Amino acid sequence: MAIVHQRTTPTPRPSMFTGRRWRRLKEALTAYFFLLPAFLIIGVFGLFPIGFAAYVSLHRWRIVPGRYRGLANYVKAIDNLAYVVAFWLVVIFLVLAIRALLQARRTAREHEDRPWLWMVPAVVTAGGLVQFVRFCVYLLPEVLDIGQKVKGLERTRELFLRLLGEAWGAPTVQWALRLSLLILALGLGLAFVVHRFLTHSPRNATYYTSFVLIFLLVGGGLILGWLTWTEIQAAYAEALAEGEQLEIWSQVVTISAGFVLLLIAWWVWHSASHRPTMAATLLRLGAAAVLMVGAWVLIGELPRVISAGDENWWKSLQVTVYYSAGTVPFQLGISLILAILLFQNIRAKGFFRVVYFLPYITPPVAAAAIFRVLFSGRPNAPINNLIGLLGAEPLLWLDEPDGIFQMIAGSGVTLPGWAAGPSLALAVIIIYNVWTYVGYDTVIFLAGLGSIPGELYEAAQIDGAGGGAQFRHITLPLLSPTIYFLTLMAVIGTFKAFNHVWVLRSGAALGTTDTASVAIFQEFFRNTRYGYASSLAIVLLGLVLVLTVINNRIAQERVFYG
Amino acid sequence: MASNVSATYRATASSKSRGIDIGRVLTYVILLAGVVVVVVPFLWMVSTSLMTLGEATGRAILPRAPQWDNYVQAWEDAKFSEYFVNSVIVTAITVGGQLVFCTLAAYAFARMEFPAKNLLFTLLLSTLMLPDALRWIPNFITVTWLGRIGPIAWVNNWPALTVPFMASAISIFLLRQFFAQIPHELWDSAQIDGAGHVRYLLQVVLPISRAPLMTIVIFGFIGAWNALAWPMLVTNTPEWRPISAGLMAFLDEAGAHFHLQMAGSVITILPILILYFVTQKQFTEGIAYTGLKG
Repeated sequence: MAIVHQRTTPTPRPSMFTGRRWRRLKEALTAYFFLLPAFLIIGVFGLFPIGFAAYVSLHRWRIVPGRYRGLANYVKAIDNLAYVVAFWLVVIFLVLAIRALLQARRTAREHEDRPWLWMVPAVVTAGGLVQFVRFCVYLLPEVLDIGQKVKGLERTRELFLRLLGEAWGAPTVQWALRLSLLILALGLGLAFVVHRFLTHSPRNATYYTSFVLIFLLVGGGLILGWLTWTEIQAAYAEALAEGEQLEIWSQVVTISAGFVLLLIAWWVWHSASHRPTMAATLLRLGAAAVLMVGAWVLIGELPRVISAGDENWWKSLQVTVYYSAGTVPFQLGISLILAILLFQNIRAKGFFRVVYFLPYITPPVAAAAIFRVLFSGRPNAPINNLIGLLGAEPLLWLDEPDGIFQMIAGSGVTLPGWAAGPSLALAVIIIYNVWTYVGYDTVIFLAGLGSIPGELYEAAQIDGAGGGAQFRHITLPLLSPTIYFLTLMAVIGTFKAFNHVWVLRSGAALGTTDTASVAIFQEFFRNTRYGYASSLAIVLLGLVLVLTVINNRIAQERVFYG
Repeated sequence: MASNVSATYRATASSKSRGIDIGRVLTYVILLAGVVVVVVPFLWMVSTSLMTLGEATGRAILPRAPQWDNYVQAWEDAKFSEYFVNSVIVTAITVGGQLVFCTLAAYAFARMEFPAKNLLFTLLLSTLMLPDALRWIPNFITVTWLGRIGPIAWVNNWPALTVPFMASAISIFLLRQFFAQIPHELWDSAQIDGAGHVRYLLQVVLPISRAPLMTIVIFGFIGAWNALAWPMLVTNTPEWRPISAGLMAFLDEAGAHFHLQMAGSVITILPILILYFVTQKQFTEGIAYTGLKG
């Protein structure tokens, strides 16, 4: 980076030049000093856990680290889908790399640069970075082992420093470190040479970083691909030895084909909107056909894979999806109504706001404890008394494992598992969630409504637009960024939810309320399977990422940023 | 849902001119219904907390004679005095750390130029997306390790409960947004007076940033007071257990003693409620601010 700054300063007088450079350096150093404590904490407890969890998830790890077992934890959780996901990750890495490459080419064409020489230092630097990761992977277990070694010994500074020195000095660690530093230095040196003597462009730093990124993506993709490939080969070899049949490859192919068909259908449907009516109809028909074929392939294949995975985990994912789908629409709908009502010229606005916000700040354990009493399954429980007044039979509420649609349909009809809906116990948790977050959403909707200029409504009124038209054509589009933000927060919130679910879950509900986070907590805390629980957490992270990307995609098309 | 909203909307909008305000009445009815739904569980908690065991498990709505003893019993049974002190200490350390570390980092992002600024800021914000479940295991291993090698224990002690939360991305982000709005002329004139970044931050920026700092204190307080999963992981004795985890343990022990459960809940909720009513305006404004800018 520092190399770049050199060129940008014109040099009228040497003393001025050094003065400004010194000031800049001083400011940068002060800034890093300011950032140091916060980044030390966030680095250790916020960023490092991502890599560390991935590392743990590749091991058998019960309280103390065990042996490396590759993707086995993932395969245990989601069966062969793990290979499919790994395969697609490789594809995504490569696609991203190609996109970055095309982007770099476009920039180069626009400015008539010739950046291709930057590939040389970039590939070396990327190699050095990969080496550095390898060094970390060697160092980590040695350092973790110190915790075991000092057990029972008197903990002195000298002992710790000696053990740290031993961990640091282990030959594999040292070699990996030296190699990575050497390659990194070589890469930076080459970059300096290219920058100083070979290409002269103000965009040199951009080319360098984007090429490094491209090579990292390619390298990461290749490493992951190689890992998956060897895993699959090993699985086949093992199956052959035991005389079993495996269908990993066929499953990878069929499931991928199913998803590709869905993607194509979406794409064709999408492109139809720019065509004349006749062609559009045909295209949409075609898209629908492709969609059905893709869905058919997936419906034929996925349940088999799912049933081979961890039943508990799949169930908790299903619970999470029910929970999210049951919560988000009600939560946003109710809070939007309340916000619009509150936004009018009414009395005691402040009072309503204060009261609605109350559940959000209440400690979740205490609030959930209240709900536990209200919605308890005793025939004497408050809610059962209430519905008793209306002439209904008492229900089990938080102790009820049956799906609500099944209960509505009555015991005469038996619905299949997925159609039975969320259990009544989960429905209570959904009610709790809506109760808690409506106030928060209302306050944010109110702020969003407040930022819509009032002149728009006046103008619409002069044009003769009624309340409904005003809502549809002014309020909704101008509120769409807020709606988008709240939807994203609500969806991610339900996928992360733990505290109140933990308080409200009851053994009698037979795990129908155990969301993904609860399942991970149980594997970790009760079963002490650190490695396996980590792989589940990584799968959850992947799901949250996918949801965010989908949400962004929808937002790009539907959200109106004034 | 949308048609529903627009119906009410239209009703209230068009009825302004008319004499009888059906829309207005309807508005108040809906809003008051909302108030009832929010408030009834709280009232139920208070009422139950004052009942006898028989009343609490029966059909009673109000206690015949308020049993104030329930609070004394819950307080003693659940070691709430210990949990209370623990939570106050943990909260104070966490919030104090946040105030120092987050202010420094936010100031650097808002007012200083340095290499890799955008990269670091993106890294910071990316931690917001991580599910807590992903952090439990690595952080648990980390704090056990730190406790083994360091001079003081981390698990079952204050460091594990406070240090990981002393810097939070959302607090840094909130403060940065505020600091970036401070007019640049202030910095220019401070520089002319010979003030560096440290003096400018201490003497100019902090005094006018009382509102966002207060928001951070409040959020930090709530976060520390309400935390459950992590305290459950790193405390297995009451010695350092903070209040939410303590209440959870008590709920499991108290079984069908609903009146005691509710008394414990009142004890847990009360400090937060007082804080909320005292700083109410700050609260909703802070929330709206995070929502709009986030």
